[in-house]
Amino acid sequence: MTNPEMTAQDFVSFDDASFTYDGTSFVFRDLNLRVPQGQFLCLLGGNGSGKSTVAKCINALLTPDSGQVLTFGRSTADPESTYFIRSNAGLVFQNPDDQLVASLVENDVAFGPENLGVPSEELAQRVSNALMRVGLQGYEQRETAALSGGQKQRVAIAGILAMDPALLILDEASAMLDPRGREGLLQLCQELHQAGLTIIMITHFMEEAAQAQRVVVLDEGRIRLDGPPEEVLTHTEELRALSLDVPFAASLSLRLRRQGVTVAPCIHEKELITELTRLAKPERLTKDVEECETLEAIASLETVAEEAEGVLNEAEAPVLLSFQDVSFSYADPAREEQRRKQRAKRRAQREQPSERANWGTDPEALWALRHILLDVHEGEFLGVAGHTGSGKSTLIQLMNRLLTPTEGQVLFRGQDLASKEAVQHVRGAVGLVFQYPEYQLFAATVYDDVAFGPRNQGLDETEVERRVRKALAQVGLDLEAVMRKSPFQLSGGQQRRVALAGVLAMEPQILVLDEPAAGLDPQGREELLDLIRTLHEQGFTCVMVSHAMEDLAKLADRILVLNEGSIFADGIPATVFADQDALHAIGLGVPAAQALALHLRQRGWPLKRMLYDEESLAEDLSRVLQEG
Amino acid sequence: MYEKAFFGRYWPGDSIVHRLDPRTKLLLSVAFMIIVFAAQDWLALGLCAAFTLLLYLISAIPPAQAIRSILPLLFIVIITALLNVLFVQGGQVYFQWGVLCISEAGLIHAAFISVRLVLLLLGVSLLTLTTTNLDITEAFERLLAPLTKMRFPAHELAMMMGIALRFLPQFAFELRTVYRAQVSRGARFTINPFRGGATSLSSLMVPLFASAFRHAETLSAAMEARCYHGSVGRTRLHPLAFAGRDGGAAAAMALMLIAVILANLW
Repeated sequence: MTNPEMTAQDFVSFDDASFTYDGTSFVFRDLNLRVPQGQFLCLLGGNGSGKSTVAKCINALLTPDSGQVLTFGRSTADPESTYFIRSNAGLVFQNPDDQLVASLVENDVAFGPENLGVPSEELAQRVSNALMRVGLQGYEQRETAALSGGQKQRVAIAGILAMDPALLILDEASAMLDPRGREGLLQLCQELHQAGLTIIMITHFMEEAAQAQRVVVLDEGRIRLDGPPEEVLTHTEELRALSLDVPFAASLSLRLRRQGVTVAPCIHEKELITELTRLAKPERLTKDVEECETLEAIASLETVAEEAEGVLNEAEAPVLLSFQDVSFSYADPAREEQRRKQRAKRRAQREQPSERANWGTDPEALWALRHILLDVHEGEFLGVAGHTGSGKSTLIQLMNRLLTPTEGQVLFRGQDLASKEAVQHVRGAVGLVFQYPEYQLFAATVYDDVAFGPRNQGLDETEVERRVRKALAQVGLDLEAVMRKSPFQLSGGQQRRVALAGVLAMEPQILVLDEPAAGLDPQGREELLDLIRTLHEQGFTCVMVSHAMEDLAKLADRILVLNEGSIFADGIPATVFADQDALHAIGLGVPAAQALALHLRQRGWPLKRMLYDEESLAEDLSRVLQEG
Repeated sequence: MYEKAFFGRYWPGDSIVHRLDPRTKLLLSVAFMIIVFAAQDWLALGLCAAFTLLLYLISAIPPAQAIRSILPLLFIVIITALLNVLFVQGGQVYFQWGVLCISEAGLIHAAFISVRLVLLLLGVSLLTLTTTNLDITEAFERLLAPLTKMRFPAHELAMMMGIALRFLPQFAFELRTVYRAQVSRGARFTINPFRGGATSLSSLMVPLFASAFRHAETLSAAMEARCYHGSVGRTRLHPLAFAGRDGGAAAAMALMLIAVILANLW
């Protein structure tokens, strides 16, 4: 920064600041918060904790009703300072689609500096510098609409960097990204912080908070906890009470302490491993490589029995959905081949860099799915994993014939879905819940919205009403309270439940869910997953697509991993999550407990189970540490 | 899927036509239309056709792409031609059935009108094939700038157009998702559009409007956060600037006008 007076003081200070949208209920009241220059601060809080409002107050988009907010020592209420503050304190929003203003990347990045009146000669330089800093060099001429979510957020950050800011505020900027995009964003923030930027990151992801220098936990506009992550994130009870997650390492170390292991509370897995190694008696660990392999063999043996049992049960249950060597292409393969050549030629003419950094899958790949063989059995809970573009959403859209296979057949209870008679039947029988289903609500009342499906099925009003009541009860909503309300009056979590009820009201035999918990805060997420578990226990066959391996490990009986349109793995969670390296290679991880167990086992820890969750890992670890 | 067969799609390139100032292209397109309308006989129209062909050759647009770009609008040409065949009478009669009568004059006139319309479409299409939406928007803004003194919101209109264009693919994508979701809930959009059509349609439009409002709310905050405050003091990444080639293009168009007038008088 060029302004010398700023270095002497805090970049942000809230002095007894209060803010209210409606004049009666305060988002925050008498808030005091100081952020010194150079800090990497993480602001944690559940939905409605006021954290987004704090971000907007720092950026002078909102001004406090009483008290004052100083950004770079200047009052946000002073109109003279508005542009100074905004140009130096960049704000990145949650939804990548909502903040890009231009069709081309370079025009979007230039938008901010253009508004500041930066001369044209300097603009191009700023744009290419900013794109380079976010790792998108050469993307100037790309269309913003064709980028992935993670890339869009990078463009948004580049747009702010082009204004040469001193402070970067990220308002849940990673909430709508997949794990790969999230990891990339976090790494970028680290780099920018090291380059001298002050960063305020608003999030509810603990792995992000653990990377910060300081964590502030906000609840109903009050600061509940404030300190370095090692201190704040180990307050597991308080965090849980505030409906926040707890980092896995913290949760596990505290669980171990309760079981009598004198491990220090940690927030990073690495520290925990060091701690555990320090405590372990060497004679309990196996040094021998061969013996390590034997350990793994024992672990797999023990699960083979379980697996055999599972397969047996599975074989007994009738097949509901069957994919018989299904391939799908979004374009006519012959024509697409031709188009692909043309595009390659055009790109060569434009001399764009040929490598597609962070692009995930090849967007010009011919087949979205290739040679899929899959049976979904009645009563089963099938988890589907795979990173963005692996063909997950194509797979589930084939399940109720929104798409028809280019090759092969999809059978529902033995009936080919390609036949016309099957269509209406299968749409009712296979209940497909899209990602962010609440965005599809449309009717004047919750009742009418949930009734949409049954009415389309041509049922009479008494049956429709019975189904609406049943469906709303199934999703745990208070019937009388919500029925006559507009769906748009409800909270985000409630809206999602209504949308789910809209599918349940069709009384499907199989429930297909695409990222059902995406974008919810930890509490909402937990509640929704519990709801899905309950539905499954009530007899629904479930197919759930998810990025979150923890959720899949918890809920699914069987996991299907897709990679670039093909089946990469298909088996019980224990087998799928046994091979961490293979999953890493295709951009996926394993649940945290499992990852730690695999790591320790390689170091000779006698951990015999094939699949670990936090509870079983704590149990085995304390046994190893306390025995002998 | 949605990106194909789009009248007005940009065809990337680096020809002299691509590099012309968008303001020049916009004004010359209007001039071209006037010239095509001014052409009164086959010789003049032939000159226009040759000129159009030349322009496409210079801009290195593949013929297939040129034809595809106007394909969706060819129905206008066909309807106009049919009307002309039926309403213009004279010369030899080839076919008569009741009031329907196809005559020599009708066919010739229909052919003439068709060629003229195709040339007009090709002219407009060349503008959009060689100019990005953004450039066209900015050309509009700059050409209308003198009107801002009369409180005409040229900058605001151009910004609105630009944002609308930016969100077009977004809404196409969202519409497709909502459509599929409602179809999954048994909505029938194709079988009988009259029965229950209103509910079905609103099940698409309401989510789309809700989404538009949601986008708009954040977008306006995001723009403000990036110091947007109208056109005052705003600079441009690629400021428009006339070059020698723009004068050349204007001269070529003027020559074309003179040639067509002469051909008309011939």
